[in-house]
Amino acid sequence: MSDRRLPRLLQSPAVILLLIWMLIPLGMTLYFSFIRYVLNSLRRPEWTKPALSNWRGFGNYEFVLENKDFLLAIQNSLFIVCSILFLTVILGVLIAVLINKAFPGRGIVRVLLISPFFVMPAVNAVLWINMILDPVLGLQGLAVAGINDLISSLQNAPVVGWFFSLWPQFEPISFRATQTSAIAVIMMVTWQWTPFAVLIFMTSLQSEDQQQKEAAILDGAGAWSQFRFLTLPHLARPIAIVVMIQAIFHLSLYAEIEIVSRGNGNKNLPYLIGEFANNNIGAASATGIFAVILANIVAIFLLRMIGKTLME
Amino acid sequence: MGRIQLEKVSKSFGDVEVIPPLDLTIEDGEFAVFVGPSGCGKSTLLRLIAGLEDTTSGKVLIDDADVTQVSPSKRGLSMVFQTYALYPHMTVRKNIAFPMRMAGLSEDEQEKRIMAAAESLNLTDYLDRKPGQLSGGQRQRVAIGRAIVRDPKAFLFDEPLSNLDAALRVGMRIEITEMHARMKTTMIYVTHDQVEAMTMADKIVVLQAGVIEQVGSPLELYSAPKNLFVAGFIGSPKMNFIEGDEASKHNAKTVGIRPEHIDVVESGGAWTGTVGVAEHLGSDTFFHVHDTGLAETLTVRALGNVALNHGDTISLSPRVNEMHRFDDQGLRIA
Repeated sequence: MSDRRLPRLLQSPAVILLLIWMLIPLGMTLYFSFIRYVLNSLRRPEWTKPALSNWRGFGNYEFVLENKDFLLAIQNSLFIVCSILFLTVILGVLIAVLINKAFPGRGIVRVLLISPFFVMPAVNAVLWINMILDPVLGLQGLAVAGINDLISSLQNAPVVGWFFSLWPQFEPISFRATQTSAIAVIMMVTWQWTPFAVLIFMTSLQSEDQQQKEAAILDGAGAWSQFRFLTLPHLARPIAIVVMIQAIFHLSLYAEIEIVSRGNGNKNLPYLIGEFANNNIGAASATGIFAVILANIVAIFLLRMIGKTLME
Repeated sequence: MGRIQLEKVSKSFGDVEVIPPLDLTIEDGEFAVFVGPSGCGKSTLLRLIAGLEDTTSGKVLIDDADVTQVSPSKRGLSMVFQTYALYPHMTVRKNIAFPMRMAGLSEDEQEKRIMAAAESLNLTDYLDRKPGQLSGGQRQRVAIGRAIVRDPKAFLFDEPLSNLDAALRVGMRIEITEMHARMKTTMIYVTHDQVEAMTMADKIVVLQAGVIEQVGSPLELYSAPKNLFVAGFIGSPKMNFIEGDEASKHNAKTVGIRPEHIDVVESGGAWTGTVGVAEHLGSDTFFHVHDTGLAETLTVRALGNVALNHGDTISLSPRVNEMHRFDDQGLRIA
């Protein structure tokens, strides 16, 4: 027994540190979610200190569930995360396969492709919403105005004028509006995180066995069959890694949502927690626990799905 | 049918010419072995035939049809790779089925051929395993199975046994030779191991630096090597080469004599020397003999166990009629 005790003893500081690291925040969140705890209350000053005497049971959870924004926030979280995952994985695989072959200037292209990943999220959001997506001053506004100008000048042209006079005026889309702000967030985060997927897939593609490909060529497999039956299964594991890491990151998106619409019609769970935490720590903690549960469900579901479809 | 002809085929990578133009014909049903030291271009030559590399100039003909511009899969050849090149995420069954699936064969036909191949290769019990769960020898058999089901005009083997251990290698060597005897399909086999070449081939093609040094049956190469390179490459242990006065006696720049053609005699042999290393294998004894008055150390092979050890004096008698004579250019003098 003693020869087993020593290694355990030596491991214990690290294990205990990790447990404290994880368990104390989780324990505090759980504790706060079951008591009345607010930052400011003139009417009930005793609630401003966390104490067991303020026990509220599942009251905070009920309060959160009855909040009109809660279901929307969950829906929105899932919508944003799944859309980003879908787009980054598909774009990532396509770009990685595209730049896997040697061509002049490949080194520079790779650096350029990866650079969006180094932009800070808040900066990324400001750039996109003001300089690209703005309906008047952004690239979008300029492009739509340019197209409209072109069409209206063609309407006066001889011979083909009647054809272009049938065309409507194009309207720029406002991405700060309630219905579209989630789309804006998806676009900017996809732009930022596709490089991450490309990077992971690219390194994985370089370890692909070339003799397998040659064998497949001799076996009569065309480019698509090689991709479908060799490359894609080879990428199954990196795809799972990309999905898992991104799911964890994007469930906690905050900066982009704050900057695009200040959560107007486009809250996700972290944003809702942030709103509650302005005063009601109890409700914020209860929402946090919901977020933990959601994150686990999403992770398990996604990993199963990917494992099954790609490994045949 | 599977008659393969190379006409003035050459290959360059950039400015480096790895194969100068060469001609070669491999007859239908022949077991041809390309042998040579590493980097001699033998694998490149095989890949040119397979179509995995484009020829720089010249023509590849299969059954008299020019296939130089035909894609690899349309040439009707199967290849077995050194690293097996199995598809790691597919079961053995799916691996073997893959070429048929690509060719669009019916499920029934696929199953029939898979079972036939699996039976002849002893793979029936492993059909639902993945390559990662198989031993090296089994993996190589799966790779051969995948080659067989295509019913190819010719099999191409690229050093298929190099990754196996010595005992398995001998076993697989025999299996492939038997397979050839049974199927009578053309096979081209690349190896750097002259023992594999000698034991398996109908026709050996000895290559050095992309140049064909000699083409012939194993025994032709053994008994009448065209030049010093072939003489030194074929046969184990290596042929002894003697230069100087001893060679001049036979009107040659160099004379070669194989270790098995030097007899150990009691006394009065042509050469007397000191035993350096003596290797007693039981069936044979190899002596490395110094101080014979020749510049070179001689290797001698004696049948059975000969009780001479390090430092003993040994008397040697070469069989003069088994000597090979080479001129200034290293070419054989008939």
